[in-house]
Amino acid sequence: MTKSNDVKGQMRIIEVILASFIIVFALSFANILAIVPTSPKYEATELEKLGYNVLHDLDKQGLLPRFVYKEEWGNLTAALRVSLPLDVYFNMTVYDLQGTKINNVTIYYGDPETFTASKNIASVTYGLVGYPIKLNATQYQANYEPRTLILQLTRG
Amino acid sequence: MKRLIKQKRGQFVIIAVLMIAMMIISIGALMHRAVTYYKHEPWEEYLTLVGNIELNSRRLVELSLANYTHTLNQAILKTNLEKWQTDVLRIYLGREIALDYTLASGTNYNYSLGLTRDWNKKASFSAAEASFSLNITSIGLTGYNFTAIAFLNLTIISVNTNTSEITVTVKGEDRIPIPALKKDNFQVVEPTNITITSVTPRYDDKEILVYIIKCNGTIPASVSVIMKVWDSRGIQVTAKYP
Repeated sequence: MTKSNDVKGQMRIIEVILASFIIVFALSFANILAIVPTSPKYEATELEKLGYNVLHDLDKQGLLPRFVYKEEWGNLTAALRVSLPLDVYFNMTVYDLQGTKINNVTIYYGDPETFTASKNIASVTYGLVGYPIKLNATQYQANYEPRTLILQLTRG
Repeated sequence: MKRLIKQKRGQFVIIAVLMIAMMIISIGALMHRAVTYYKHEPWEEYLTLVGNIELNSRRLVELSLANYTHTLNQAILKTNLEKWQTDVLRIYLGREIALDYTLASGTNYNYSLGLTRDWNKKASFSAAEASFSLNITSIGLTGYNFTAIAFLNLTIISVNTNTSEITVTVKGEDRIPIPALKKDNFQVVEPTNITITSVTPRYDDKEILVYIIKCNGTIPASVSVIMKVWDSRGIQVTAKYP
C-alpha cells in the first residue's frame, strides 16, 4: 500500500486520458460510418409492424374491405406490392370464421423458396366485419360477414 | 516538463482512474439500454390492433344501419355487436381482448336498440349510435372508450314544377355534406312516372352543397314528392315534400 502515497507520475495519467479520448473518438467515428445489419432478433417484429401498418392504411382508405368482399384478388396483390418495400415478400390468405379459405387465387409476391428457407417469417392477423354490396338499383346487401386475413411476410 | 515525463511512479492513480472510467462507461451503457428499451416494444403493432378493432366496430355500426334501413330489422345492431364481441376473440386469438358495448337509447334522437329513423318528412334521417369499451389484457390496455355514430340526412329544399327540378341536400355525421353522389344514388319514388335524368352538385351559401335533380316528365304541383337516397355505405333515407 505504499504505492498509494505516490504523488508523482502524473504524466502517465495525462497519457492515459489522451489515449482514452483517441479510442472513444475513433470508435464513435467508426460507428457513424458502419452499416449495421438489422438484428435478426427484431426482424420479425419489424415485419409485423410493417404488415399491420399496411393493412390498417388500406382498411382506412376503404380499399381492403372492397378488395376482400368483392374478391378483387389481383387488385389486393397490386395494392400490397405497392405498399410494401420491394425486398419484402408476402403471402396472404383470407378465411371466413369457420376457417374456410376464401381466396381461390394466390395473393402472393416473391420467391416461394424464400418462405420455406427463411427463419424470419412474420405473420399478421387482421379482421374485417363486412362490406355493403349493391345488389341492384335500389337494394344493398349489408350483412355481418367477418373475414380473417393472414399476411405472412419475409425479406427476400 | 522533462522531469514529469521521466517519473516512473504513480501507477496506482492510473489504475484507480481506469477503474472509475470503466464504472462510468458501464453505468452509461446500462442507462442507454434502459432509456432505449421502448424501441423494442411493438407499440405500433398494439396501436394498429386497437385502431383495427375501433375502425371495424365503427364499420359494423354503419353496416348495421345500412341493413336496418333496407330490412327495418330493429335488432340488427344488437345482434351484430353480440357476434362481433365473441368473434373478435377468435380473430385475435391469445390477445385477451374484451370489447363491451352500450347501445344508444333515446338521447339526441329517439333511439331504440341503437337505431332510429325519421322518414317521409322534408328533413329525414337514419341514425345509429353505440359506445364501446375495449380492454386488451395481454398488453395492459384497459378502458379504451370510443363512440361510433352513423348518420345520413336527406332534406328536400325545393321542388320546381315548371323545370321539373328537385333541390336536395345530403349530410352525414356532424352535418357534413356528402359529396360525389350520382344519379344512381337517388330515386324518385312518387310521382311514380318520374325518372331522374341528371344530378348536378352545386355550391350553396347556406347548405354548402346541394344537388339539383333534373327529372323527365312533369311534376304535378298538387302531388307530394317522395325521394330516396343511398350513400356509398348503403345507408338509405326516404324524404317527402311538402
